[in-house]
Amino acid sequence: MKQHQDITRDRELLLGLAKSDDKSLETIYSENFPAVLRMILQHNGSEDDAKDVFQEAIIILYEKACEGNFNLTSRLKTFLYSVCRHIWLKKVQSTYGLYAIPPEMEETIPAAEVVDEHSTKDEQFRIMESAMGSIGEPCKTILEDYYIQKKSMQEIAEKFGYTNAENAKNQKYKCLMRLKKLFFDQYNTSL
Amino acid sequence: MKDDMNLLREIERYLEGEMSGQEKAVFEELRKNNPQINRQVEEQQFFLQQLQHFGQRQSLQAKMDHLHRQLDMPTLRKQAQEENLAAKRVSIRRRTITNLAAAACIALVTSLSTIAVLQNAAKNKSTAQYEDVRRVLNNIQRSQNALINDINNKSKAPTNPGTYGGTGFAVSGNGYIVTNYHVVAGADSVYVQNNKGEAFKAVSVFEDISSDLAVLRIADSTFKSQPLPYALKPQNAKLGEEVFTMGFPRDEIVYGKGYISAKTGFNGDTTAYQVSIPVNPGNSGAPLLDNQGDVVGIVTGKQTTSDGIAFAVKSAHLKRLLDEMPKDKSMKKEMARKSHLEGLNRLDQIKKLEEFVYMVKVYN
Repeated sequence: MKQHQDITRDRELLLGLAKSDDKSLETIYSENFPAVLRMILQHNGSEDDAKDVFQEAIIILYEKACEGNFNLTSRLKTFLYSVCRHIWLKKVQSTYGLYAIPPEMEETIPAAEVVDEHSTKDEQFRIMESAMGSIGEPCKTILEDYYIQKKSMQEIAEKFGYTNAENAKNQKYKCLMRLKKLFFDQYNTSL
Repeated sequence: MKDDMNLLREIERYLEGEMSGQEKAVFEELRKNNPQINRQVEEQQFFLQQLQHFGQRQSLQAKMDHLHRQLDMPTLRKQAQEENLAAKRVSIRRRTITNLAAAACIALVTSLSTIAVLQNAAKNKSTAQYEDVRRVLNNIQRSQNALINDINNKSKAPTNPGTYGGTGFAVSGNGYIVTNYHVVAGADSVYVQNNKGEAFKAVSVFEDISSDLAVLRIADSTFKSQPLPYALKPQNAKLGEEVFTMGFPRDEIVYGKGYISAKTGFNGDTTAYQVSIPVNPGNSGAPLLDNQGDVVGIVTGKQTTSDGIAFAVKSAHLKRLLDEMPKDKSMKKEMARKSHLEGLNRLDQIKKLEEFVYMVKVYN
């Protein structure tokens, strides 16, 4: 086990994660998942629970890394483990109501703040997800291609068989307006 | 609708930096003057950011799913289960040991305290059932006594009648008196007083705690020795034998009559009898005599839980004790071989006996 490794390696991994470096992500994922799996299994969770909880923790870590002002004070392993533990604890408590917290589940480093911060972003993500889900094709793909994949209008026009980029652009604006409406309707009501 | 779209297009061009310098200035002017448009710009900015996040997260999710599929789940599962089992075993073992230790401690404490309580209770029971019949002299008796002392002015004994009282009787002509150990225990000084009111200073010369007997010697020059009319009976008295006693439960000598009701004393004590005879505090040390006028025992105590049950040390035991006494005490072994009281009726027996039964007064 790489128990006594320096924290600098963890910091580098974190930087890699922020830059969407696949290698860093893979390292973090494969090194930390087994411990989380074991912890979740130990506390009456399934493998799927472990996967969900762990991935949520990675997302939190990713968001933190992207913000740039995140200073990793503990080892990455400890951070992820604590966050996972907190997420799982919250899940179990909300599912079974007043479930007695096993004493060994108590936190080593306080992860509550981190997880709570994340819940706002998670909420926004869910809203966007549902808006994207209900907008339908071809809007979804056009928007994704343009705004997320950063494809040019020309490419998109060819892909969808528009006569020129201008037509595609008009279509894109229509889609964007619909998506915005869907998103903000839900966003404003949920706040 | 068309206007909205045009506005959106403008906003997008503005945000993406596609506008020329002049256009940009115009738009910024518009933005400054029209708060609604300004709000829309901000909204668009926020929305694009959201969209960006959405995209990033989706791609991250996709990557993670891809990574997850690459994991060797069966091996991981097995490892995790094994480690958890081991951890559980350790924690169970630890918990079991803790519980066992706690249970053992409780058991130990319980049994020890039970033993202590039982022993204590047994002791309490004994003392509760058995009561020494020495007398605590109260003030009224003291004043009576003082009066008697005044009348019989020969006595040099202090007018203070003492703290405790009991009975004793002579076992030799020259002033040896037997009484109960508990009567004279812890005494500073002891006085004996006969029925005529004559008091003599006495000293304890021998004590036997186990059988609760004490031998006193009269250490007073005014005491005149005289031969004893009775003997210590060496054999055990028979069950049911009629006995009588004379003692000082009050400042006057009191006669009591009864019978031997058991051959053993309190708690099966073989050195004593159980006697059915009325005894009261002050009777301690009184002689127990049979019809022939022989001493068969010494009254020591009674059972508190039932009436009329008293205990007396056997005369045979007293005899053995006197034989064991150091010889240099100059006690004359002149105890009558045969009772001079035999054949006399009870009234005459009592009259002769009176002189040899003493009230023992203890000062401490």
